[in-house]
Amino acid sequence: MEQRLENIINLIIKYIFGLGVVFFALFPIYWMFTMALKPSIEWIPTQVHWWPWNPTLLNFMVLFIPKETILDWGLVEASHAAMLTLPHETATKSIINSLILSTGGTLIALFIGTTAAYALSRYKAGSDYLFLTFRMLPPIAILMPIVIWFSTIHLLDSLPGMLLLYGLFPMPFVVWLMRSFFDDIPPEVDEAALIDGATPPQVFTKVALPLVRGGLAVTALFIFILNWSDLVVALTITHRHAITIPVQIGLFEADVGHLYGLMSALGIVAIIPTLGFGLAIQKYLVRGLTFGAIKG
Amino acid sequence: MTVMNFTAMIPFALTWYVGMTNWAPQLTSNWWEADFLGPLNYIRVIPDDLFLNAIGRTLLFSAICVPVEFLLGFLLAYVFMGDFFGKKFFVLIAIVPMMVVPAAGGYTFYLMFIKLGPINGLLNILGFNSIPFLMVTKWAYVAIILADIWQWTPFIFLIMGAALLGLPQEPINAAYVLGASRWHTFRTVVLPMLRRPTMIALILRTVESFKLFDYPFMMTGGGPGYTTQTISMHLYEAGFRYLKYGPTAAQSIVILLTMAIVGFYAVKPLRAAQRGE
Repeated sequence: MEQRLENIINLIIKYIFGLGVVFFALFPIYWMFTMALKPSIEWIPTQVHWWPWNPTLLNFMVLFIPKETILDWGLVEASHAAMLTLPHETATKSIINSLILSTGGTLIALFIGTTAAYALSRYKAGSDYLFLTFRMLPPIAILMPIVIWFSTIHLLDSLPGMLLLYGLFPMPFVVWLMRSFFDDIPPEVDEAALIDGATPPQVFTKVALPLVRGGLAVTALFIFILNWSDLVVALTITHRHAITIPVQIGLFEADVGHLYGLMSALGIVAIIPTLGFGLAIQKYLVRGLTFGAIKG
Repeated sequence: MTVMNFTAMIPFALTWYVGMTNWAPQLTSNWWEADFLGPLNYIRVIPDDLFLNAIGRTLLFSAICVPVEFLLGFLLAYVFMGDFFGKKFFVLIAIVPMMVVPAAGGYTFYLMFIKLGPINGLLNILGFNSIPFLMVTKWAYVAIILADIWQWTPFIFLIMGAALLGLPQEPINAAYVLGASRWHTFRTVVLPMLRRPTMIALILRTVESFKLFDYPFMMTGGGPGYTTQTISMHLYEAGFRYLKYGPTAAQSIVILLTMAIVGFYAVKPLRAAQRGE
């Protein structure tokens, strides 16, 4: 009897905590969502708006559709006040840039990082300390020479320049994570392949890589999330042409000031890929976040 | 590998050199034309109040955020231990904040803490006066710390949750059989077994918190005045907004060297854990 009572109390505690988690974790996202649905007149309220009084999808449309088209279609009345709440440019460029840079950077990092990780795992080549130590340095402190270097070869504010950085910055992460996946393959597997007459590069591409397929996918998604969330690098390197979503969020200004609704709408759009990928690799999150130190 | 190490050294050497000049793009367009000052900028690092205060503030943020996040995350992981109906759902919700792009999260927290935002609305409903969160240094700290806790507690929760799940059950059951109380078992049996994951979680979170940038940048812009400016923000502002390349390069080198040493020692236990030592 006493045992049962204790169990019930335990369960109640669990649910109280669970509800607390749901509230605290989701409230900021709820707020972002409501802001994204509010028309411009409700952005800076005269009292607290707990929910949008006149919900509209206009903010999401303005993200993608140019000002002129919005006015042509009569979605916003052409009055001066309403005109002022439209941004000078759409967010399409930043979304496309973010997709190209995050994906491309991930592929570069994976391509170089995986080979390095295999070398470290199998041949104990070089010191692997440097890789993770590099990851712990604040990126802003490394950006100064990169800006100098990029300005001399005209890579500032360009997609190739950003691609290079998004490939290099997360590489230590790839090396460490993939190394932990390669370490999971027993060396006997390699030896067996070598005895059967495979060359070391063949062992890498035909034996080792297929065995870490899952790990490779997880690492790829991790790097994508890292690049996708980056603000510091993009803020320093890009101004106009190569801006990414996090930079664009800060840039949404019109003649009236900050366009809170648009910022929130873009924030919601930006959550979709990371949330989707994050949930897809939920099983591996711990391993990825701890650089493979906890198997999870 | 040697080539890679060497390539990685070039930017650092360049920064080191620029740190010894008075280079600013508005004076001379090329860094090699700038006046050579010798170690002057490096010596000036010491009495630079903005720089030193930014370091102090970053350390203060870390010193508050990391322990709170750890305690909350660990508590949550402990409460959620074992299987119960709806656990999957709660865990799923709990890790959502980590997936939000920090720039967007920062903006949302700014909107939540403004005068007519929901936080003040809630305070008013509960019968308190509105607090000018982002206008007063003390409250701006509270707001930024809350945002950081919101985003990074899930990180600790995940690590400690995985660690608790991986605990061997025999010693715990044995302690119960021997008549130990729940608290006593937790303190003398469970906690010692959690030493390694605790170290890993704390190290990773601490090192990461030294980089704090997105939240203060989006929420206060370092204000009021410079009072919430972190070291990353200071380097960004001084270097890339006010274009003081020379001194900023010197400060970057100081930060890089410090963090490289910290990082080097932080990596050791991580690697040991990875190897299962």
